[in-house]
Amino acid sequence: MIDFDYVRATDLASAGRAGAAPSTRFVAGGTNLVDLMKLDVERPLHLVDINDLTRADPTLAAIADLPNGGLRIGGLARMRDVAWDAKVRERYPVVSQSLLLAASGQLRNMASIGGNVLQRTRCPYFRDTAMPCNKREPGSGCSALVGINRSEALLGTSEHCIATYPGDLGVSLVALGATVHIYTPAGSTRTLPFSSLHVLPGAHPERENVLRPGELITAIDLPPLAAARRSLYLKVRDRASYAFALASAAVAVDLDGRTIRDARVGLGGIATKPWRSHEAERVLIGKPATASTFHAAADAALADARPHRDNAFKATLAKRTLLRALTEVTA
Amino acid sequence: MRSLIDREPATCRRTERAIEPGDEAPDFEFTSAGSTRRLSDFRGSPVVLAFHGAQWDPARAEHIDTYNRLIGKLGGLAGARLLEIGGDGPWRELRFADDALSLPVVALGDTSIASCYGSGDEPAVFVIDGDGIVRWALIGPMSLANPTEVARAISVVAEPFVHPPNEPGAVHEGSAWTRRDFVATTLAAAFALALRPVEAHAQRVAALGTAPARQSARSVTLNVNGHDLVLQLEPRVTLLDALREYAGLTGSKKGCDHGQCGACTVHIDGRRELSCLTFAMMQEGHRITTIEGLANGEQLHPMQQAFITHDGFQCGYCTSGQIMSAVAVLDESWGPADDDVREAMSGNICRCGAYPGIVAAVQEVRRAQASNGGGQTR
Repeated sequence: MIDFDYVRATDLASAGRAGAAPSTRFVAGGTNLVDLMKLDVERPLHLVDINDLTRADPTLAAIADLPNGGLRIGGLARMRDVAWDAKVRERYPVVSQSLLLAASGQLRNMASIGGNVLQRTRCPYFRDTAMPCNKREPGSGCSALVGINRSEALLGTSEHCIATYPGDLGVSLVALGATVHIYTPAGSTRTLPFSSLHVLPGAHPERENVLRPGELITAIDLPPLAAARRSLYLKVRDRASYAFALASAAVAVDLDGRTIRDARVGLGGIATKPWRSHEAERVLIGKPATASTFHAAADAALADARPHRDNAFKATLAKRTLLRALTEVTA
Repeated sequence: MRSLIDREPATCRRTERAIEPGDEAPDFEFTSAGSTRRLSDFRGSPVVLAFHGAQWDPARAEHIDTYNRLIGKLGGLAGARLLEIGGDGPWRELRFADDALSLPVVALGDTSIASCYGSGDEPAVFVIDGDGIVRWALIGPMSLANPTEVARAISVVAEPFVHPPNEPGAVHEGSAWTRRDFVATTLAAAFALALRPVEAHAQRVAALGTAPARQSARSVTLNVNGHDLVLQLEPRVTLLDALREYAGLTGSKKGCDHGQCGACTVHIDGRRELSCLTFAMMQEGHRITTIEGLANGEQLHPMQQAFITHDGFQCGYCTSGQIMSAVAVLDESWGPADDDVREAMSGNICRCGAYPGIVAAVQEVRRAQASNGGGQTR
């Protein structure tokens, strides 16, 4: 690991100023960043520890009701605290489940919500500095296109990068239509739909989100949503626990009798960013909650899948994952 | 063999028979860093005199754990940990947490003193009381790597210092050990490499061709197992490396070093976290508990005992992480089923496959807690 200097920020203003400097990274839980620094994939010269920001402003780690009936989750709240929170579990089960099915107990105790959604989109070649990778070294080429690409993405890929966004929480948040609050180094704040936070790799896979230097996620708002109480996160992995998704589905369904009044569908493990399938939602809404509807929705969700040599099976797997999630959540 | 002593020690009287308990310890003189000292200078304090083979270096990193275990056994001084090995040449100062204890070490370059104690070429340890009388002696194959016997002897000799007569049975609270007049001296007939751990680390870094430090090492205070440790650390030192390489607490294991195996699990403010994925500097101001801080003196934590009872390990490498994780799991919101335990513990990998025993151990402690009204184990 290269050497770097370390400072603790005590308030948002100083964090923003320090974070805007070149070659600087914020660190909260550190679970993704420290790992990549050990691999020499991340090589920041400056680290700004933002954990103490909660002393000046405890709401940065809080989970609080919003006047509109939604919930606000502080960017420095830990995965564990959000996962087990009673309000989250009751009103947004898909959020709790996607957190509990992610990482391990130790990592969930460490990782912040802001850091979790901003974890790097990555593949084995990104982690291996001996191999070309456009995300790590722009213009060096993509090893996964011709290499082992079983874990790579089917949706949202480009000729420059096919790495999968590995997070689970982000899949739930994009399905629910969450909102992101961002502190800017100028001292102002801005908000974004969660679906706009991440960008497709296109010709610049090194850029994964729209945050500018020094910008910090201060909170994520979960909207009031009737469908959210009947929601589910289903994750299919190579082993039963503590693994990335081969395919996952975040679904929320509001039923009127057996008719689907509203539906939200997010897909994980198969896309280059947290993936919301409006195609599947359009098929579901207004239709009866039956197997044939779910089949049609799954087919629509994966219609644009572009498989590579080793990962074609994931299109089928993702369809079946979505099918089962919809079946279970409407049972 | 290079002698690190400034000049030859004043000869003491050779003896035909080995020195035994009850004998007066032969006095001798040695010079270090320009000043001359005699063994008798240490009258009033217990002294440990150790003769070791030529390969023994009191400052070698692998001895740190031994020192810690030795000190740990001195009346159950749990948490007293070696902070640093200071000094140069033959005279070393081992400084422990809270200045509770300092352990000067002298490495001598010849065996003439050993012959005064009748130990010849064999390793030997003598414990000398404050009156200069040998109270315990062992000549023959042994080493400080097996410190139990030495510790037992020291604790006998040091009893008046550890438990002053007006505090009968005082149980190892900080006050008993903050006294600085307990000086145990180890004299080693050995060739000493004058390398401090931090310097050795710097040399390794230099050998790897890493860029010079942008931000040099600075004092970091870590609260570990109830004690404040002051370590000189660069920002890039992980908590795991700080514990293992700088504080000498090698109970936390380095398995994958990338957050995939759980062997490095410690508690931070009571929560289980991975010490390999956080920088030590980030943990200043937080309460760190390692496997070394789990037992209450010689009394094992219930989870440690349960792992033994249920055979929850084979090779043992993942065990400290498993146990730290398991203790914290019982403070989390998991359900009571075996499958809940398996899911909760999935961040700890056991390549020996001792999982059935691990699940049984966790379940036993969980049930015992539940029947005790849900009391916490820590």
